[in-house]
Parts: sequence; structure tokens; C-alpha cells
Amino acid sequence: MTISNGQQLLEVKDVFAGYLDYDILHGVNLSVRPHEVVCVIGPNGAGKSTVFRAIYGLIKVRTGKVLFDGYEITNYTPQHVLASGIAIVPQLRSVFPQMTVFENLEMGMFLEKNKDRVQERVEVVFDLFPRLAERAKQMAGTMSGGEQRMLEIGRALMLEPKLLLMDEPSAGLAPSIVRMIFDHVKRLNSEIGLTVLMIEQNARQGLEASHRGYVLELGKNTYEGTGQELIDDPEVRRAFLGGR
Amino acid sequence: MDLFLQALINGVMLGGFYAAMMLGFSVIWGVMGVINLAHGEMIMVGAYLSWLLNEHVGMDPFASLLIVMPVMFIIGYVLQLILINRVVDRPILVSLLVTFGLSIAISNLVNVIFSADPRLTDTALEGAWSVGNVTFPVTKTAIMGVALLIMTSLWLFLQKTRTGKSIRAAAQNKQAARIVGIDINKIYALTFGICIAITGAAGAIISPTQAIFPFMGVPLTLRAFTITALAGLGSIPGALFGGIVLGIVESMIGVYVSGIGTNLAIIASFVLLVVILITRPQGLFGGLRPIEEPVQL
Repeated sequence: MTISNGQQLLEVKDVFAGYLDYDILHGVNLSVRPHEVVCVIGPNGAGKSTVFRAIYGLIKVRTGKVLFDGYEITNYTPQHVLASGIAIVPQLRSVFPQMTVFENLEMGMFLEKNKDRVQERVEVVFDLFPRLAERAKQMAGTMSGGEQRMLEIGRALMLEPKLLLMDEPSAGLAPSIVRMIFDHVKRLNSEIGLTVLMIEQNARQGLEASHRGYVLELGKNTYEGTGQELIDDPEVRRAFLGGR
Repeated sequence: MDLFLQALINGVMLGGFYAAMMLGFSVIWGVMGVINLAHGEMIMVGAYLSWLLNEHVGMDPFASLLIVMPVMFIIGYVLQLILINRVVDRPILVSLLVTFGLSIAISNLVNVIFSADPRLTDTALEGAWSVGNVTFPVTKTAIMGVALLIMTSLWLFLQKTRTGKSIRAAAQNKQAARIVGIDINKIYALTFGICIAITGAAGAIISPTQAIFPFMGVPLTLRAFTITALAGLGSIPGALFGGIVLGIVESMIGVYVSGIGTNLAIIASFVLLVVILITRPQGLFGGLRPIEEPVQL
């Protein structure tokens, strides 16, 4: 166990990781401070999702370190990462389609055995997303894409995570819905101080919703700065934001 | 009219047994994506366990459930851990071959140990009640009762308990189940154990009315297929409905088509299977999940 400097909630330090013998990440460094929204952008195949997989223990970190909340969590199992306070919203649909909204939220707190505690947290999430409360008894699979994404975020918040990882929250959603999801992220950040690390293909909107951003290329981070700095950076603009 | 009513009653009772007999098959398929071709052999093993207890200890087959079910649970749990777990994420052909091999190995092993002689168990629950000209055989009524009890318990378990819900979650989206902290391997072993316990129980309760022999499993596996197609994966109300439909069809054919009746009944179940697969491949009930593969990360 290594104690970090206390300033950072999450630190990814010089991580090399990949599949079998082939590294996809060649020394990634990034950090997230408490109550910050950070966005990682970059072209397809740059290794954005791989960074999350490495943090979440879904692939092996070969060298380098992942520090969270003062402790080293490198190569923890997904269950342990979750229990230490990092929740994840995956890119593809991940609701349980033939369970109700309520049951989906309950499952988000599978690790908690105390039923009263689960009930309490469901109420908190319902307060954050009144739409979910209206649909409590509906089968999750029958809701719209945006509502399902909302449910996924709500479910991830059940365990009161210190950090929420979001893998392409805009994937597969209509532009108006994407705006709504990013608004939710900003709102959760200001209302409950939620810390978020997200990967986004939709670079401009992702950076606009974030305090800081990183650009990942070929398994390394190449630029970093505040969301606005990256949006204004001519290099970044030309490469990732469609020019002008 | 009495003949028709009697055939209907017999069909419903047979259907209750079919429903309990196939549930394990359909839940394993629904949760793990494994089509267990050794399913009928698990019924057969349960039936032989019950026969052993009946023959050597004089235990009633219905009472033997208290021993048969835990033993079958352990067999299922261990089988999953050492064998099925290795093929569960592989293409479906691999698990089909493994369970097919298992089916042949188990039936022939039982054949070597017990010979092919058909056996029956004795139960104290015999005789019949009559209502008008229709008779209700006590044994078959008891089979129906146990079948309903098993189905209700499984339904309550899956709907209401934390473990049951995590089994449903794993069936619907494995990746999502993982990210909420469910240990998939444990859930699979548990599911397999529970399903095999139920399947063995079906063998035990049928043992007083149907001859037990080493190769009795295959036609039962095939019926389990038909009912799964009717019912949807892991759907308990669907299983009951599908089981009863098949039971009634078989019973009616047995009564009204003389001579080849009972053989024709098996043909009927496959005609039914083909018709369902053409007209409604997703089954008539929702079940644990749709029969096509869910989107995986």
C-alpha cells in the first residue's frame, strides 16, 4: 500500500497494459481530483476503453500503478475495485431488461446485505432522478435509451461511489438525449459533488461538461488541460474536434 | 365424454410432471447459455437414487426427495465447477458436445452397474379417487402436487431472494452482473446445482409410475426441448403451460388413436416443436431472457 499525496482521488501512473503479450497502453498517466469531472478523448483504437479496463481489473496491468484514495488498487478484481468505491457505467446497454427499475437499482447494491440500507439508497437515487421514481415498476428493457442510461447511472450511484467511471456515455443516443445526459453529469457533480472520469468519442460535448481533459493517442496521453483549453487548442481542434 | 375428461385429467397430470421435469433444463439454458443434453440422464440418476433407497431402505420415493435433492445438488454443483465451467463461455457447439458425451457416459455407466432391466419403486400413495366416472390416481395426483410445489418454490426463490435476483441478473446481462459485484462463477455453480436437484427430484417422483432404465433420458431431454420452445427460457408459468399442452396432446393421442397411440405421442411432440419454432421462435412467454443472445460487452 502506497500513500499518495492526498490531493488526488485517482492516479494512473505510467501504466502499461494490454491483452496477452501485446500492450495497448504504453505508459498512461492521468489523475482525478475529488469533485472533478475529467474527460478522456482520442481517436478510435487509442486505448481509451483499455484504460478503464485496466483500472477496473478487467485486464492485467503489466507495469505501472493505479492509486485510489491513497491506496494502491493495481490489479484488484472488479469486485474489489467496486467495493473500494469506484463504480462504472459501461458503454453498451447494461440494464437488466426483464427486471423492474426498482430491482435494477437494488442490484446496484448487490454487495450490501442490509435491506433497509438498500431501500434508503433507492430513495436517494429516486430523488436525484425523479423520472426513475415514476417508472419504478416498469421493466427496464421497455424504457427509452436515455432513460436506460439514466438508470445505469442511478444504479452505479447506489453504492455511493467516490468515483464514477463512464465509458462513452453518449454512445448510441440521439444528440438531444446526449445533451441531457451531460447535463445530468454536471448537475450530479454540483449537487452531490460526484467525481467523474469519462471517456468520450463525442469530444466537444464531453470536454464542455468537464473541468479537465486528456487526449489519448496510440496508448499514451499526449495533451492535457482544462476542458476549455483543449477545445481552444488548435492541434486538438484539428485532430479531434472537426477543424475550424 | 367421460373418456375425453379422463384423457384431459391424465394429460394435465402428465403435464405437471413434464413442467417440473424440464424446468432445470430451461433455467440452465436461460442463465448460462448451456444446452444440457445430459438433462434426461440427470432425471434417470435421480430415479435410480430413489429406487436404491426404496429397494434397500424401504424409503417411499416421495420421502426420498429429502435425500435425492441434496445429493443431486452436490452432483450438479461439482459437475459445474469441474466440467461445465470450462465450456460455458465457449461456442455453443463445445458445450453441446460435452453434455452429449456426458449423456452417453452416464447412461452407459448406469447400464453397466444396474443392467438394463426396468425397475419401479413402491409408494404408499396409491389407489384412486373417483369423481363421477373420472378417476384421479393418488400417485399421479401426488406427482402433480410435488411438481407444483417445486415450481412455486423456485419461482419465489428467483423473484424474492437476493440470490435468486442475482441469478436472473446474470441471465439477463452477464457483464452488468459482474460490474455490480456478482460472482458469476458462484452463481453458475449454484444455478446448476439447484437445477440438477429439481431435475433429480422429477426422476424420483416419476419412479413409481414409469419404468426406470438407463436409456430413459433421451426422450425426456427431447420433450424438455419442446416445452422450452413453447415456454421461453426459464419461464415458470410458461413451463407449466407448455408441459400441460404437451401432456394433453400426448394423452389425447394415446386415447383416441388406437394401436400406435403412445408411439405417435412422441411424434406429436416433435411436430409441435417444429410448428412453434416456425411460428413463434421466441416462445409464448417472456422467461428469464429472450432466446437470442443478449448484447455482450
